[in-house]
Amino acid sequence: MNWSNVKLIFLREVRDQLRDRRTLFMILVLPMLLYPFVGISFFQLSQFMREHPTEVVIVGRDRLPTAPALFDEEDRFHATWAATANEAGEDANKLLNLRFDVPLDEARKLVQDGTVQAVLHFPDGFDALAVAGGMKTPIPEISFNSAKRKSQVTAARLKRVLLGWRQAIMFGELSRRGIEPAEIEPFALAETDVADESLRSAAFWSIVFPFLLLIWALTGAFYPAIDLCAGEKERGTLETLLASPAVRSEIVWGKLLTVMLFSVVTVSLNLMSVGLTGSFVLKSFQSSMPNLGSPPAIAYLWLFLTVIPVSSLFSALCLALAVFARSTKEGQYYLMPLFLITLPLVVLPMSPSFELNLGNSLIPLTGIVLVLRATIEGDYVLALRHLVPVAAVTGLCCMLAFRWAVDQFNKESVLFRESERLDLLLRIKYYLRHRQETPPVAAAVVCGLLILLIQFGFNFLLAGRVRNLALMTILPQLVAVLGPALLLTFVMSKRARKTLSLKLPQAWSVVAAGLLALAIHPLALEVNGLVQQLYPLPQETQEAYAQLFDTEMSFPLMLLAFAVAPAICEELAFRGFILSGFRRLGHKRLAILFTSILFGLAHFVLQQSIVACALGLVLGYLVVQTGSILPAMVFHFIHNGLLVTLSWLLKNGTPRLDGWEWFIVSSAEEGLRFQWPAVAFAAAITLGLLTYFRRLPYEKSAEETIQESIERQGISPAWR
Amino acid sequence: MRKTLAQSQGTLFTTRAFVCNSGGFEPSPMITVRNLTKSYADPRRGEFFALRGISFDAYAGQIFGLLGPNGAGKTTALRILSTMLQPSSGSARVNGFDVLRQPDLVRHQLGFVSANTGVYDRMTAWEMVEFFGKLYGIPDDVLQPRVEEIFERLQMGEIRDRLGAKMSTGQKQKVSIARALVHDPPLLIFDEATSGLDVLSARSLLETIAELRSMGKCVLYSTHIMREAEKLCDRIAVIHRGRILEEGPLKQLQEEHGESDLEELFHQLIAKDTSTEDDRHAITT
Repeated sequence: MNWSNVKLIFLREVRDQLRDRRTLFMILVLPMLLYPFVGISFFQLSQFMREHPTEVVIVGRDRLPTAPALFDEEDRFHATWAATANEAGEDANKLLNLRFDVPLDEARKLVQDGTVQAVLHFPDGFDALAVAGGMKTPIPEISFNSAKRKSQVTAARLKRVLLGWRQAIMFGELSRRGIEPAEIEPFALAETDVADESLRSAAFWSIVFPFLLLIWALTGAFYPAIDLCAGEKERGTLETLLASPAVRSEIVWGKLLTVMLFSVVTVSLNLMSVGLTGSFVLKSFQSSMPNLGSPPAIAYLWLFLTVIPVSSLFSALCLALAVFARSTKEGQYYLMPLFLITLPLVVLPMSPSFELNLGNSLIPLTGIVLVLRATIEGDYVLALRHLVPVAAVTGLCCMLAFRWAVDQFNKESVLFRESERLDLLLRIKYYLRHRQETPPVAAAVVCGLLILLIQFGFNFLLAGRVRNLALMTILPQLVAVLGPALLLTFVMSKRARKTLSLKLPQAWSVVAAGLLALAIHPLALEVNGLVQQLYPLPQETQEAYAQLFDTEMSFPLMLLAFAVAPAICEELAFRGFILSGFRRLGHKRLAILFTSILFGLAHFVLQQSIVACALGLVLGYLVVQTGSILPAMVFHFIHNGLLVTLSWLLKNGTPRLDGWEWFIVSSAEEGLRFQWPAVAFAAAITLGLLTYFRRLPYEKSAEETIQESIERQGISPAWR
Repeated sequence: MRKTLAQSQGTLFTTRAFVCNSGGFEPSPMITVRNLTKSYADPRRGEFFALRGISFDAYAGQIFGLLGPNGAGKTTALRILSTMLQPSSGSARVNGFDVLRQPDLVRHQLGFVSANTGVYDRMTAWEMVEFFGKLYGIPDDVLQPRVEEIFERLQMGEIRDRLGAKMSTGQKQKVSIARALVHDPPLLIFDEATSGLDVLSARSLLETIAELRSMGKCVLYSTHIMREAEKLCDRIAVIHRGRILEEGPLKQLQEEHGESDLEELFHQLIAKDTSTEDDRHAITT
């Protein structure tokens, strides 16, 4: 790669963007104006944020005890209990306008139509309070309208006044009986905030800053990327650049660095602006918000260090999407899905229950937010401990996103896509009319999504309605998993047998697949244990799993539901139809990976999905290498069957393994657990068996053959 | 390698290719295309062949016209020659360099001028030509006088500091030509370059192209306007539905078909091909 070309393209693109008024507005003007404007608006609006008086009808005033009196002579709440109508301790008489002249039924109607906000009704016999006391007294009632916010607030104000009054009555009664009110309170409670003043405000900024950083890094990258790729396509300038001596990777790098620069600048200006405005506003409201202040200066350093990887990731993602788009208009449609995917990863870690641990640090973006939060809050040890996994995951995501962007630039079908509308009906007609032996990639994706949707619907429908566990397990397998796959096989492909890999393999490969399932079992348990450690299952899910095997189902029925049905249905759907479709991509590894991801997603519970995805890789590999679905079915059956058998054995008592403790241990709590010699032995056998499968001469798809010949000719690198 | 190539470029508007229009011995072609095929999977048309094994040669000092109706495959052929697209099969060489195996060297041999001009809206004429000159690795001390000379020759002084967005289509096309000439390539490709131009601008462009031929450049000119081709081209190839129907010196083709009007000749060829194709379709269905 010629870096001087990269520099030239970078400088050109930067100059180009700096001459674009829209970009300048987004990255310079907006952050400079937005936050100060919000700050000023906050000042202006604060005067309207006072609480306003509301209307209350009191019914049954004459049924109140005379002492202590709830109302004074002027028909207002007595000053003693009117003192705290809200959190701020405002006077109830200023916030509640009382009326005594409306009958109960009419008053309730007024509450319904919103003229009056609440009715306080003292029923007949309430004046006997002093005599009867406690729960024997008829209950006074506050009627309010929960559909109206103002009515809810009024009810809360009334409740506070009444609770104050009730306490006074209670204390009076206690005194009358010779008990000091203080005696019934065994202790008082005092609160001391030991947090450093700077750390108190850091807690606030540690939530605000990471959120803004990620959102602006995405926004700052998105618009320049769209203009530099989709915009250039539209204006016809990309064609000129492609005919120049700059190779594709140089063009991608030049554009990527530009997008990154604008993303970094957008983030920096926004954070500086929000920091300064926030400090100013919070200082002005220090009396009401004593815990908030200026952001710690060191926070800016951590933000600066974080913005580089975050911007790189978003820039590469946006660039790939932007080059895929036919026009700027189409490109802008991609912003919303990107936000929808990003937002949960950014918002979830803001919850106080979401802590920085190894598991969470491995989630893209979430890990960054958590580490950033820890550094801003001054918890450097915790942040440092998780820095490596976060950096590794972010680096991997950046690399994948960049590769995707480069790939997009190398695809003629993407670069020279005509600006035509996608006619779905036409496309479906085309696929039906030009059916190939195996289904197209799009059909594989559709099948995967259909399985996910129907499964979701099935779970929703069956939950709580069907008690028969076997039926609840087998029915979704048949209808949600096998159904769509078989239907699409006959509609979208010419040769069902080839699509579903229904071919008799070599007998040895079936035996080897069975042995592999046995050998991989201890490893799968280890992976499962690791996943559970990283992402512990919630208590309810654990209980649901325990119940699953704690049934009266017979052992053969259990085998049928949990081993035979998945081995047939899931294999035909995922390693049959979906894998065949993805193989049309021309890359067997990608085909296996995409199939495994869909297989993982179909398991819904995250912890299960991760393990299923890993096992899916092995299953896909078996089908590709042997050309038959049978070894995968055998593997799947033995793997699931083993789990069912062991659970069934453990249910009937912990097996005794005297003399084998160095290899395997069993306990009622943990079930069977393999010791490290067993795991090492299993790993060696697995490796050996996988090597056997690797050596099998596998049958390539037509697309894989073309792709291989292109790569062998060495044409592609010269064009890249 | 690129730097050496750029540095080795001579004074503007001289050609490194061997120029021989007439007599004596056979010159080596600037462009050699053999059995070039390009196919796409198209939802509307199934496996669609944009090019079905086309072959032709184009020589230095000549204008080669690639004539065909819209969708005939002209742009696809030109994009393959300028290394923007990879052919599905066949071969193409530019000044001896293979488009598949030596794309970077091929790009130094040609300048590409497209119908949409490809001028950046937010760059001035000078900046744009200079930018592409730098991309071709031309050293600054050579580049500045060269750009000056191109601007003078194409009479672009007036738009030197004007942004692309504020230029007329004719002015944009001039910038596009200046950009294509900055590295003094022996081959210039014009893809329907007069589309959208007014009469005066189109005439000026055609004059520039004729001038380039007289300087020994090979010009590959794609158009569907027969009057332009008749006026300019030394050799033509009529392309329809991805196939070349006829190829050769313009005069020779006119004599062979006994038709002096190129537009008529073009119509005849296209009509004949369309009816043959319809017959073939009728038999197969």
